[in-house]
Amino acid sequence: MAGFTREVAYRIFAHELKDTSVALERDLENAYAPQYVLTPTGAKVNRVFIVGTLTETEDIGTDTEYWRARISDPTGTFFVYAGQYQPDATRVLAEASVPEFLAVVGKVGVYTTEDGNVITSIRPETISVVDAPTRDRWVLETARQTIDRIKRLEDGSSENLAMVEEHYSLDLEQYRQMVASALESMR
Amino acid sequence: MIQETSEQIRKRFLELNVEIESSEIERRLRDLIERFKVPASEAERSVVSYFLREHNIKREDYYSTIEGASSTQIADINESGQWVNLRAKVVQLWESTSPTIAQVGLIGDETGTIKFVKWAKSNLPTLVEGKSYSLENMTTDEWQGRFSVKMNRTTRISELDEDIETPDREAHLVTIDSIDESGQWINLRAKVVQLWESEHESIDQVGLIGDETGTIKFVKWAKSELPALVEGKSYSFENLTTDEFDGRFSVKFSRNTSIEELDEEIEVGFTATEFAGAMVHIQEGSGLIRRCPICNRALMKGTCMEHGNVDGIHDLRIKAVLDNGSAVQEALLNREITESTSGITLDEAKEMAVDALDQSVVLDEMKKRLLGRYYTMTGRVLDRYLLVESVLPMEAITHSEIDALLAEVT
Repeated sequence: MAGFTREVAYRIFAHELKDTSVALERDLENAYAPQYVLTPTGAKVNRVFIVGTLTETEDIGTDTEYWRARISDPTGTFFVYAGQYQPDATRVLAEASVPEFLAVVGKVGVYTTEDGNVITSIRPETISVVDAPTRDRWVLETARQTIDRIKRLEDGSSENLAMVEEHYSLDLEQYRQMVASALESMR
Repeated sequence: MIQETSEQIRKRFLELNVEIESSEIERRLRDLIERFKVPASEAERSVVSYFLREHNIKREDYYSTIEGASSTQIADINESGQWVNLRAKVVQLWESTSPTIAQVGLIGDETGTIKFVKWAKSNLPTLVEGKSYSLENMTTDEWQGRFSVKMNRTTRISELDEDIETPDREAHLVTIDSIDESGQWINLRAKVVQLWESEHESIDQVGLIGDETGTIKFVKWAKSELPALVEGKSYSFENLTTDEFDGRFSVKFSRNTSIEELDEEIEVGFTATEFAGAMVHIQEGSGLIRRCPICNRALMKGTCMEHGNVDGIHDLRIKAVLDNGSAVQEALLNREITESTSGITLDEAKEMAVDALDQSVVLDEMKKRLLGRYYTMTGRVLDRYLLVESVLPMEAITHSEIDALLAEVT
């Protein structure tokens, strides 16, 4: 279709996604406008690609299947929720064994709990079982792209700098350390 | 139109410290135009003259330009952020691509043509293609070495009685890879590589043409009343205009275009492209498919769009989406590449489908084996798709790669 471009899948470490607390306002005039979240290193994200280790699955649905999966990378844990509207992903989660490496492509959701905590989660589009070299490649790639985002905030070339300053403390050192510890874990 | 003109007059008098009720200006303009049928430009002149006399202002003071803007010619525009006045003709109007832009197109004078943008917020009168205007107080802008002028709230537009001559829009024969500007008149010698389904009744034919240097999308309007192009044939095309959307160029056929079929065959050149990324999606129509035995098109639910119910021939293909975290690339894998990448041959795929009584099991298995993995794919890009000629799985990471990154953060 003319004019339609697929949203890029960002590479974000679990720790950074956990710290993400800003859902950007949708363009109200366009019903198809995607929902974006703003991460602390300035990524404006609708879709992510993550690779990690499945550490727990649980069917928390009442009437229909609704799976919650915890998938960990070297920095933290992603929460992935799949139900009847993600039949392929739901089937993979239902059959998956713990632990194994999973690759997930999905949309990021942010919601605020009653006591004011902001929680991020991933609604999967595809989930597949992958191998260790794929996970290693993902960690390296995510480190590379996170460093690039940090640098763009520091040298002022990030187009999202103003938004990051408005919503986050801009303490980038902790994210450098996050990247460093992720890389250390691969050695 | 009358309201816009009266507002312009009111604003200009305000700059000369004279306040005039816009209803009064409007009434006089309306009277002249609607009752006396005076041309709008003449009516404007007449009304302005009336108020100049009324307030004892010199004609030169009204028509002299605001300080800063200087009268110039298009060929002399070589800096952005300048205030300029031009006397120019509207050569071409384009479709506005944004609600913030009221009109966009090309204007020209004796020395050349330049793109113009008229902001919606500016409330300026509508420009008409082919008419000449005095355009005062525009700003110049530049993008990637190409200049444009922007019409804003303070710009004044008045139609000229004379016709500004613009340089011959003589089209030159160019190669496809040299097309880097919209609104140009060009000639091409090219082959019709692909015809696509027209998505709109105003479009007669749409597709891809190519020459030795590359390929480009073309659009042939229904109202251009040109002969039908045939896929695979080569033509000489004269008087096409170039267009751009989202950084991609295309050529448009119009009434002025002439088409002549060539005896020789133009060889279409493609440039090899490489894309490395994770496979994040496999599109519908992948896996084990069936093709029409007559036209080779993929069947939809056993039916060919062209030839109806046919006995299809099995084939394998994958339409994949690769993503590297900053860009996506759609990739088309033919049977051979699909077999080697997925490890499933056509015969095995047919067996799997027969066993399961369902050909979608093949696609499911391919998704299982390929999604979420990294690949480097090489091939040529044809419109949206990379036509894949070789696939390499990504290599295992090395210690030196890790150390190099660590050095950047510690």
